[in-house]
Amino acid sequence: MWLHVRLSEVCLFLQAMFILACCFSDMESGPIATSGSVQPNGDRFKIEGRAIVPGVKTQDWISSARVTVEGEEYIGFLRTDGSFVVNDVPSGSYVVEVISPGYKFEAVRVDITSKGKMRARLVNFIKTSEVIRQPYPLQLRSSGPHTYFMKRETWGWTDFLMNPMVMMMVLPLLIIVLLPKVVNTNDPEMRKEMEQSMNMLNPNPELPDVSEFMTKLFSGSKSSSSKAIGGSKASGRPAVKRRNYCNWSCHGNYNTIFFKRAFSFVFCK
Amino acid sequence: MYRPSLVVTFTKKSSVKMAKLTSLFVILLSFFCISEAVFEDQVGKFDWRQQYVGKTLFAHFESNTQSSKKMFVATDKNIFASFNSRTGDLLWRHVDKTGPEGSIDILLLHGQDALMVVGDGRLLRSWDTNIGGLNWEAVLDTGSFQAACFVAIQDTVKLVAVLKKAAISLHYLSNGHQKWVENLPDSDAVQYQAVYSGGEEEVYVLGVVPNSHLTIIAYSLEDGEIIKQRSVEASWLSSIESSCVVVGQGVLMCVDPATLALYTLPIQAEETPEFSQILLQSLDLEVFPGFQPVLVSSQPHPARSPLSEFFLQLGPDHHVLLQLNADGYTIAPLRDFQPAFLVSFATTGKKTVAAVMTPKNETACAINLFSVDSGRRLLDTTVLFPLEPNGGKPHTLYVHAFLKKDDSVGYRVLVQTQDHALTFIQQPGRVVWTREEALADVVTMEMVDLPLTGTQAELEGEFGKKAAIQDGLFPMVLKRLSSQVTLLQAWLAHLWKLFYEARKPRSQVKNEVTIETLSRDEFNLQKMMVMVTASGKLFGIDSKSGSILWKHYLENVQPNAAFKLIVQRTTAHFPHPPQCTLLIKDKDTGLATLHVFNPIFGRKSHIALPALPRPILQSLLLPVIDQDYAKVLLLVDDQYKVTAFPSTKNVLQQLQEMASSIFFYLIRSDQGNLSGFRLRKDLSTERIWEVVLPTEVQKIVAVKGKRPNEHVHSQGRVMGDRSVLYKYLNPNLLAVVTESTDTHPERAFVGVFLVDGVTGRIIHEAVQRKARGPVHFVHSENWVVYEYWNTKSRRNEFSVLELFEGTELYNSTVFSSLDRPHLPQVLQQTYIFPSPITTMEATLTEKGITSRHLLVGLPSGAILSLPKMFLDPRRPEVVTEHSREENLIPYAPEMPIRTEWFINYNQTVARVKGIYTAPSGLESTCLVVAYGLDIYQTRVYPSKQFDVLKDDYDYVLISSVLFALFFATMISKRLAQVKLLNRAWR
Repeated sequence: MWLHVRLSEVCLFLQAMFILACCFSDMESGPIATSGSVQPNGDRFKIEGRAIVPGVKTQDWISSARVTVEGEEYIGFLRTDGSFVVNDVPSGSYVVEVISPGYKFEAVRVDITSKGKMRARLVNFIKTSEVIRQPYPLQLRSSGPHTYFMKRETWGWTDFLMNPMVMMMVLPLLIIVLLPKVVNTNDPEMRKEMEQSMNMLNPNPELPDVSEFMTKLFSGSKSSSSKAIGGSKASGRPAVKRRNYCNWSCHGNYNTIFFKRAFSFVFCK
Repeated sequence: MYRPSLVVTFTKKSSVKMAKLTSLFVILLSFFCISEAVFEDQVGKFDWRQQYVGKTLFAHFESNTQSSKKMFVATDKNIFASFNSRTGDLLWRHVDKTGPEGSIDILLLHGQDALMVVGDGRLLRSWDTNIGGLNWEAVLDTGSFQAACFVAIQDTVKLVAVLKKAAISLHYLSNGHQKWVENLPDSDAVQYQAVYSGGEEEVYVLGVVPNSHLTIIAYSLEDGEIIKQRSVEASWLSSIESSCVVVGQGVLMCVDPATLALYTLPIQAEETPEFSQILLQSLDLEVFPGFQPVLVSSQPHPARSPLSEFFLQLGPDHHVLLQLNADGYTIAPLRDFQPAFLVSFATTGKKTVAAVMTPKNETACAINLFSVDSGRRLLDTTVLFPLEPNGGKPHTLYVHAFLKKDDSVGYRVLVQTQDHALTFIQQPGRVVWTREEALADVVTMEMVDLPLTGTQAELEGEFGKKAAIQDGLFPMVLKRLSSQVTLLQAWLAHLWKLFYEARKPRSQVKNEVTIETLSRDEFNLQKMMVMVTASGKLFGIDSKSGSILWKHYLENVQPNAAFKLIVQRTTAHFPHPPQCTLLIKDKDTGLATLHVFNPIFGRKSHIALPALPRPILQSLLLPVIDQDYAKVLLLVDDQYKVTAFPSTKNVLQQLQEMASSIFFYLIRSDQGNLSGFRLRKDLSTERIWEVVLPTEVQKIVAVKGKRPNEHVHSQGRVMGDRSVLYKYLNPNLLAVVTESTDTHPERAFVGVFLVDGVTGRIIHEAVQRKARGPVHFVHSENWVVYEYWNTKSRRNEFSVLELFEGTELYNSTVFSSLDRPHLPQVLQQTYIFPSPITTMEATLTEKGITSRHLLVGLPSGAILSLPKMFLDPRRPEVVTEHSREENLIPYAPEMPIRTEWFINYNQTVARVKGIYTAPSGLESTCLVVAYGLDIYQTRVYPSKQFDVLKDDYDYVLISSVLFALFFATMISKRLAQVKLLNRAWR
């Protein structure tokens, strides 16, 4: 037991004591690229091209832009007309990119043979041997400014009101409150018209109406429930149903119609 | 919000449950994965950038009018830049390749064009200084660069002559085309060092055979034909560059420190005369013993011959203005300047003046203008240059002279000091701006918490254990009350101040940060950045505003020194001041010195430093503290003896007690040797393990342990089937990266070894074939992420290694390297990264609860915040329900780079060298400093701001809603009452 405690104590110390300080010798400078294969007097070629930002004058963007070949292995600068030359590049395959903090440019892969033949193609890191030719000397056209920023989620009344959920809740409410005031329900002609339109809307009067069923169910009284059953039994006769319905509607106003529509809408969904 | 890229598509058959899961998954993903993209209104709110260019080598001012604002500098960092001389801000900057291939050999300015020879005579570039674009670039023939000058034809400058070791070439200024190139005769024996053109039909090349003779060759401008060639006996001359100038009508003036004499020789003369000698003694001049005299001349316009007046420096602070008489071989002294640190010529229109800097008193130097023709001092031209107590001495003077409206000469002066700082001074002695160019080369840095204010510290002290024991219950209650009262007072004072300042116009309210007013904010977001630069200048920078609060120049630091900054005592131990130690090691000798200072004020601490007579191999900071709460620093020398600092009795006793549990490691990359040591009680060491990686095959390029201040919150990961996969959290784990010595693309490889630092056990090794460096890697928690170059597919790849113990933990209470029988399970996955990278670091938070992001520095200067979630070896190729529940993103070979993830938007950091991350007081927030040529500071929120209200929180909306609800209840209550009443009456 003692041993165990002692051991765990030691371990705790081990954990605490072992300070992984970086070695202080020449490790700090980090890895150094080794490119010993390049002879100083070997054949050197130049990569030429031109970069364009549509709609922007060259003097407004070239001072902050530069051309990089394979990272920062070779660097070229843009001339006042947007053209560029990267000198002193040995043969090989390179990704050439115009880097500008303001504007987006697509990278291009340039292959230089040992004889100095040039070819430009699209960069594809997955299928590295795929060749989709690009014009050479390079023609790099900016696809616009970089998008660095996210849009804030702003909160506005219009956003809130235009929300479909809110629309679904508010619009029926408005109609319930406002429509009875607009339409004169006491006018018998109007009432007739309404009933007719309701029938038009209900193309198949044979179907049991759910809202009707529900309202009857909730009304609770025995008589009405039997009536409802009767109603459903006698569903072949539309007149009965209409009357039945009329009874309901006579009690209050036409609100129920809308409720009915709303209900059926919800259920259909 | 970027959801679409992550959403997994489902088939239509998926059940309702699955649909629910999907929506949950999407929500979770969107919650976790939204990188802390910057919003446009946050620009500059929490972040700042400072741009630098490096040590100035050449500086020129635009045309000599009073209203001109531009100046141009070329620096040792291979940068050509333009400043606004009124503000010191950069107008534009061109960053060339690092190393000798991009080094700027010379910068010449003519009108709108700036001419530059780059890369030891590799390229000749002409820049349009107005818009900062390139006019043309010409490739020069091989050969190392010697000199260059403008050449004028009939009073207009049309050509530039470039002298190389074995050839001279002339180029047109307008398009860079070569007019002619000629090989120099006998270039093996003769060292050609200077080229001169004084507006005639010839260009002269001067060469020397050391201690034998001088060669002068005149080339015809028209076709490069040699017109004349002659050699002059000069056995005393060893180098033209260091001891000769051309003055007057083409007279070569040389100084010889051995014979203490000046020598003159007309270059254009037809006959072959000897050098005529003028002894310095005959001019009543004496050379400071051991000093190599220096000549300074001026050629105001390339189409005309140089001035016949010149300076001769005779000692460190002794200059003489001399004039060459019209006869060409007699000299008249005009004025003696002693003491005088620096001199410089400046020309405006037809007037040439000399600016001389003389010491005035301890804190300032005076600069005066003198007429060159007579040596008279010009009235009202004194400008004071303030000398900083811990700064460098003045090094170079660049004078911008201009004619004022009344035809008198006015001037502005740029002073470069030894610590690479540039100070721009305007008449009458106003410092317009200062640029600390030493910050272009930050080597290492630390962030130190700011101290608590007096009241805060008092409150903290109240809860100390000692206080509770000393006082009884009643005094403690009293204390509590009194401290509450002081807090209330402070708050009232703050309110009063706010009210008082609100009445004043905004421009008058100054938010100046000084060291005295610095105190910790409530979330510890503001810290002191201690930065160490390669030149040996230390800076204390306020992380919130970026203003430099203190600077300290260490004068006798070798240029190739290595630095290590250690925080020995933090600000937490009031009243003990915080303490930082800088270990400076000379790379050649290995000898180290210590500089101990207070990181808040920058003052040097007067603490007895240990004597370090032997080269230091390794340094380690122990968690052991002495009685003054300073952590103990151990220094291991080349005989494996250990020196402790501080080395009080208390510390030595503690060390003896725990010596057997202190381990450290050493790496000798030249021998491929990795060895572990243990401390003995007598502070000697014993080697306990050794790993040899044969140097013929591979070499160790980097070793990294884990950061000591890193916290890991969760011990494992919950998997889809509700079991737990425990992480292998070995605090002693080292990641060793090797590269093959064979660089052939087919045979090159990169190796990663995970070695336990205590036992030397190799936990895991991964070899990436057909790969080469540079390797960048991060080692943290239970993972290592490394990046290398795939030589076969010619692309950069990221690889991640994650170590797990399995579903059961061997010993859940404590980790011991000595008692872990099972090797961890290692998972690995590799991805394509569509860009090269320059540096990499992981975010760090207080408790490690927040998810981690990798901060990747790209060559474009952008800093990409890449969620670690993308680098998870458990990313499935085929999506299953379990993997979905775990929020694993399906595997995709190519890693995305989105510009929205750039934490520094368009504020690019050129040549990112390091990224420093520090936790703040808020768990969600990590402070980030990226340094390289520029310095950029910002905050990142890897899991969004979950513990604090966001900065865009809509207080107005929430309060208006609250008020509206409140009033609505009031009104409806009232209405209800009325209704009830009415009903009762009915």
